[in-house]
Parts: sequence; C-alpha cells; structure tokens
Amino acid sequence: MIDGDLTTRDLARLKSTAELMAREWAPCRNGCPVHADVRAYLQCIAEGDWRAAIDVIREQLPFAAVCGRVCHHPCEDNCRRQDVDERVAIRELKRFVAETQGATGCTVNKPKKQDKARVAVIGAGPAGLSAALELAKLGYRPTVFEKASVAGGIPATTIPRYRLPLEVVRIDVDWICAHGVEIVTGVEIGKGKTIARLRGDGFEAVVIATGLASSRSLPIPNADHKDVHLVLDFLQAVSAGEAPNVGQNVLVIGGGNVAMDAARSAVRLGAKTVRAMCLENEEEMPAWSWEQEEARDEGVEFIHRRGPVEIIVKDGKIVGMKARRVTRVFNEQKKFDPQYDDSDVIDVACDTVIFAIGQMADLGFIEGGELAAERGRLTYTAATHETSVAGVFACGEIVTPPGSVVEACASGRRCAKAVDQFLSGKSIQIDDSTPPVIDTIPEATAEKVLKVDRVTVPTDAAEKRKTNFEQFEHTLDEAAVLREARRCMGCGGGAEVIVDKCAACLTCLRVCPFDIPVVTDVARIESDKCQACGICIAECPANAIVPRSRAVDELVRRTAAALAKTPKGKKIIAYIGGFRCTADEWMGRSEPIPGVAELYHASTSRLGVPELLHALEAGADGVVVVSCPDGTDRYPTTATRTKKRVEQARELLGEIGLSPEKVQLAETADKGRDAVREAIREAVVKITEE
Amino acid sequence: MIVAERKPMDEILEMLAPYKKVLVLACGSCVTVCLTGGEKQAEELASMLNLAARAKGLDLHADFDCITRQCDREFIENLTKQPADYDAVLSIACGVGVGFMSELFPDTPFLPGLNTTFYGANVADGVWAEYCHGCGDCVLAWTGGICPIARCSKSLLNGSCGGTNQGKCEVDPDMDCAWLKIYQRLESLGQLDNLRKLRPPKDWSKDRGKGVRRLTHKELSELES
Repeated sequence: MIDGDLTTRDLARLKSTAELMAREWAPCRNGCPVHADVRAYLQCIAEGDWRAAIDVIREQLPFAAVCGRVCHHPCEDNCRRQDVDERVAIRELKRFVAETQGATGCTVNKPKKQDKARVAVIGAGPAGLSAALELAKLGYRPTVFEKASVAGGIPATTIPRYRLPLEVVRIDVDWICAHGVEIVTGVEIGKGKTIARLRGDGFEAVVIATGLASSRSLPIPNADHKDVHLVLDFLQAVSAGEAPNVGQNVLVIGGGNVAMDAARSAVRLGAKTVRAMCLENEEEMPAWSWEQEEARDEGVEFIHRRGPVEIIVKDGKIVGMKARRVTRVFNEQKKFDPQYDDSDVIDVACDTVIFAIGQMADLGFIEGGELAAERGRLTYTAATHETSVAGVFACGEIVTPPGSVVEACASGRRCAKAVDQFLSGKSIQIDDSTPPVIDTIPEATAEKVLKVDRVTVPTDAAEKRKTNFEQFEHTLDEAAVLREARRCMGCGGGAEVIVDKCAACLTCLRVCPFDIPVVTDVARIESDKCQACGICIAECPANAIVPRSRAVDELVRRTAAALAKTPKGKKIIAYIGGFRCTADEWMGRSEPIPGVAELYHASTSRLGVPELLHALEAGADGVVVVSCPDGTDRYPTTATRTKKRVEQARELLGEIGLSPEKVQLAETADKGRDAVREAIREAVVKITEE
Repeated sequence: MIVAERKPMDEILEMLAPYKKVLVLACGSCVTVCLTGGEKQAEELASMLNLAARAKGLDLHADFDCITRQCDREFIENLTKQPADYDAVLSIACGVGVGFMSELFPDTPFLPGLNTTFYGANVADGVWAEYCHGCGDCVLAWTGGICPIARCSKSLLNGSCGGTNQGKCEVDPDMDCAWLKIYQRLESLGQLDNLRKLRPPKDWSKDRGKGVRRLTHKELSELES
C-alpha cells in the first residue's frame, strides 16, 4: 500500500488505480466482520451486473445468501450516507443478488490441484464451512462432519423459516461444496468417532466449529415439566416442520434475538397469548430493535425486569410462573450481575414455557480425549485458534462470544489461515491489520449531495404473516435494487492527486461542485469529502488527478472493445449517463440501435474532451453524449460541464476540418429508454448527414 | 506567469507536413496553469493530429508526453518517450521551452505548438490578462502598481495620450486606459506627487537593447564552474 502523497512513480508501479482503494477503507467495509468490499459490490449492482456483484461478495463472505436475510448488517450501521439522508439498504441488495444468482450463478474458484493435507472440520455451520471453504481454496482437502441431517448449522436448523427459508441456506452450502468441500451429515464426533480417531484416519488437522449447540435451562422448580421447551430444541423442531405443542398461553423467558424467534414462532403455531419475559428493560434487551418491533407488531407482549422463580404446576399442568422483580441487571462495571427484590413476586399465567436464556457449548466430543476445557469452554488461544492439542483448532461460537452469522464466517476464515500456516510448518501469525478508515462526511459536503429516499422493503402486514411460516419480507424488484444501489456514494473511490504532476493551477478547486479541493503546495482533495464525481479529473490540464475506483483508461478501453464488437459500417459510440437506466440497458441486453454501441456511466461528469476525441480516433464515426439534466444527475453541474465539453470538442473538430456534427449531445438520460433511443436516433441522423 | 495560446491547427499541420511521427510535448508549468500547454492539451492535440491525418490522408502519427518544465535540463530525465524516436517534437511549452529543448536535442526538430503571448495573471475563471512586459527596468513603484509598459497600448511613460476616451483606450473600447487607472490609483494612495517628479529617461537597453539578457547568480554559478 502507498502511504502519503501519490507520485507518478507510485502510479507506474500499480496494476490499476483501483489498487488505490486499499489506501483507505469506507466504514461499511471496515465494520463488516469479514470486510466484504461493500462499495465495490454496490457499484456492480448499480450497473446491473449481478454476477460481478455476487462474486465480489463471495470473495469474503461464503454465507452471502444467508446474510442477505439475517445479517445484523454492521455495514449499514456504518454507512456514511446516514449523514446525508438515510443509510443504504445494503443487506436487501445483497439478498437480491445472492438469490437471483443462486449457487450456480457465481464463480467457483476451485484450485486445479487440491492435493494438500486432509483437514477434518467438525460442524457444518457458518464458521466450519467458512474454514473448510478457505482451506479448499488453498488446495487442502477438507471434510466437514455434521451432527444434523442437513448442512448449514443454525441457519439451516434453527432460524425460523419466515426469516430464512432453507433453500436460501442451500444456495450458500451448494456453492461452498462446489469448491471441493466434502460434507458428511448425520455424524456426531465423540460418539463412536473421536477426534483422536479422525487424526488416525489421515486428517492432519482438525477444526472444531460446533458452535453453541445446547440451550441453557434454569434450576427452578418444575423446569423439567413436559410443557417446558428449551429454545434450540423448540426452534429446531419448528424448522423441521414439526408443530410442537405450545398450548394457548406461552411464556418465553429471555430477551435476546433467539427469544424473539421463539416468541414469534409460538405466535405462528397458534398460541393465543405469547409473552416474552426478561430481566432487562426495553433499552437493555439484547434483541435487535427491529426484532422487538416486529414481534410486538405480531402481538408478542413484553414483561420487563422480571426473573423466573418457579413454574407453577396444578393437576399436572403448567398454570403460571412466579416471577420476582429485577432491581438491576448490570453492575457498575457493566457486567451481568442481576439483583432481585424478593418481596415483589407476581404470578404470570401461562401453560407453556420456553427457555431462551442463552446457549452453551456441547463439549461431548472431548470426552475421553486430550482436549482441555475450563468452565464449560474449550481451552483456546484466540490469536492462533489453537486448542490445547497441537493440530486441533477451534473457531466460531464455541470459542468466541455469541455473535451473528457473519462473525462466525470471519472466525472460520481466520482459523483457516492458522491451519494453513500450521500445516505449512510456519509459526502461526495472522495479520489482522486493516487500512485507515474514512471519516464521516462533513455537513457542508453532505448538504450538496443529491437526496434520494431509501427503499422501503415490501413487507406483509403482521395480521397476515403471523399465521404462517412464509417469508414476510419480500425481495426488492429490479428497479428498486438499482435505485437503492445508486444511492451508494462510493466512499473512498474519489480523486487522488499525483503530486509531482500537479501545477497548482486551481482548476480542480474552481470546477468541483462540492467545493472540496484546496490548493496548498499542490491540490489537496480530502477523501472524506470527495464524492468521486470525477469532474476535476476531466478538467485537470495536467492529467494530475486519477480516480481511485477505476482505471484511468477504463473508458478508452471500453470504447475500443465496444467498437470492435460493432458490425462494419457506420459506427457510433453513445456515452450515456446511466443513473436512471435499467440493468438490461447498462449491461447491453436491450435491443441496440444498429451501428450504435452504448456505454453507460454513473454520470457523464467524468467524460472529458480527450475521451470524446479518442472515441473518434478509435474508429467511431460519431459520438453521442446523453446526459442527465442538472438536478437529475447524481452530481451537481454535470449537465453544464458536459455541454461545455461537447461544445469544445465540436470546435476542435471544426479546426481540423472535420464536421462538428460528429459529436452530438442529448440531455434526456433521465427520461427513460424510449427518450434515450429517440435522442440517439436523431443524433445518428445528424452525424450521418454531415 | 507566462501565458501562451495554441497556434491555429492549419499552421500546426503545415509545420508538421514534412514529418510522419510526431511527439506532442507538454510543459507542466505556466502553460499548464493557463490551460494551453498541459498534458491534457497535449493529449487533445495528439488526438486532433491523428484525426486530421486520417481525414486528410496524411502519413502522420502523434503521441504525447509531458515534463515538469521544458526550461530546465534535469526534467528531461522524466520523459517517457524519447524525442530521438520521433521525426519532430511539437512542443506546447512557451517559446523558452521550445528554444531550450532545441538546444538539448540538437538532432530533433522542436516546433512551437503555441504562440507565447504575455506575462499575465488570472483575472477570472479561465481568463488571463497581461500585467508585465519584462522591460528589465521596473517602474511600478511610482505608477501605483499598474504597468504603463504592459497595460498602456502605447507603452507611454507619461500618459495619458489623446486617445483616452471615457476611461477606455482608443485601441480597443473594451480596454481600460492604463494611465487613467494609474492616476486614479495614485490619487487614492495620496501619491499624485509621483507624477510631478522629473524622471530620467527609461533605460531601454535593459529591455532588448543589448541583445540576449542573462541572469547569473555568482554564488551558484561559481560552485558549478
């Protein structure tokens, strides 16, 4: 990575200026546990290139489809757009491309040779499969042993189907398997097959990724009643299509996301009343706010600050729960340390109880072996993923704090690096460093950014959704996906000044519609402000500004390729501001006008005079520029700039005795396909009449 | 800063008529700042030459390059294309650059792509105006900072002339009369006395009267010798 000022020499060493993206990360990427390149895949989506988008996502995130449904989306929480209007709906966009492309519509990077060591992975959840995938990509031969009859872990067996249909989990599992990951289901390690035996069977390393497979219970009277469910058993039965008896009046104990799953599942199973009782008040509850809200909409009631004392049983049936008041949940050090007022005890009526107070590791597999454990947790070194036995590693929730799918993926991927280093005979050292992160967008800049409303996800009303386990949040349609992806500001993809070329001429400062460049010794363009419109790049007389997110000659190369594909005869290049076009148009799937090659860009802001001339030089008989009028383009002043550049190009052509009509401008890019085609047709007539 | 403007394309094409392979060479200093001789202008000019060649059936191909300054020999190390590989170089530096490069590359013709016009300042976005003539004997101290040589059409030292008209110059009705400006400026500075003082004739030998002018900093030049 190049630190500090960028020089011509630095630039010459890069394969592409896109490598400059590594100089700083946008906070969306930084916040993502696997550091998915959010900006890059949103750009692909904005261009309608679903395939490229899912490939970018899957480079870091094996469980792309699952995360498209259930991720707690730290990317969105960190989205800089929230200081302009609202954060980009990144998860919904991921969901669209992951499910549109399925398991077969994404690239499989299986190495030609997979002849390195065999590695056993225990547990086919997000952590285990992520580790196995990375090992397979490195040429190892991983075999994943899964206790359940289906691969995918908690997403496949436990998360309610209304949030995550099984076929969505299968997309990720099938794609992972296509890399040469072997999964053996229905095998519980420890029962019959021990870790020691695995190593004897030729596995040179073992990865334990069994997660938190057991539900916690409470040692209170009648906790063993048949109508008391443990949450994992309950949810797994529901997901398997069984309908556990929930009676009429359910009391869920717990305030986390799993408790919400249980409560909402109980509603769907037909319980008349479902209440969730937890120690915490509304603000302290660990469940995501949207989970609480959706549960409430479905009729789940909450009892806060109450702790269970005794399940009341009469005539063999549960009739209620004695619950005492909680005076505090956390102590001054913010550690979980509940205190109760035993003088304040109430009876909460119920006929079914579901304990959803947390999960714990099932350490059955270590029995009789050498692996050490302390207080119910596997002994483990976080930095290296090593357990107490050499060659046996651990990742995922069995060793990390409870988290979400994407965090398990991150842990699994990291663990694979450790296994690789171990099997390569190296000492295990994992570099977790990441580039610096771009700061929030200053208010003065945010004010100038075009405001676009965040998409609303089509959702079934609570009355409808609470009667079944069908998904109730629907996938966005294509138009909504494009509009939403185009809200991404491309943070960190903006302008870089090549300091030794800059003449401090001030042109960038004068043309920037966001008032960002300052000229000190040379022009300085701060990345936390730059909106990546490229107007300065097109205007800089020294060619001293380059975009981080695209190759400098990208447009020239695309133009040459498009001309090569256009049949013989008059060849016209149309450069279209694609901020409002469809995916088919951008991707060249719409019916072309004969002889016209259409090239789309987010905006015509970056299209300079040299590019217009280069198109003619490359063999085009004419160039049509279709821009969005100011106010509809994503960047201010683009239409005015574009018009001036077209005028200048026309003048230059006139000077060398060529017809200025070879370059035409239409300002209809915001008016839809018919208007754009009509404008291009009219322009073609003018060009060919010259 | 030195200001220059591109020569008409007809003239450039005529200059280049004897040559087949041409390098358009930009200069990253003054002419970049006034948007006529920067790398982008070289890129455009090379494109125009290639397009003109195709349209007119000429056997001509142009590439482009740029160095920081064409008036210092050290920067030629940064050339990415070598003048020796071309039949001619079309330099879009000021005349200084063209002349100096011609000395450094005696085997390659260096041709001027620009007309060097004046020493000027940026008076508005995209607009430059002449402020200095380089006469070698500066009088700005007593003319209120307004140069009568550069800004009076007749370079008068004791104006204004009879052609001043409502504050404008008879040469061009859009041009201010420099001497009226000088008077107004001195008046506002309370320095109108400056105009009453008798001054010796200006030493025009410091302009072009004694041929090629040189500047020698002894402290550096002696080190080098």
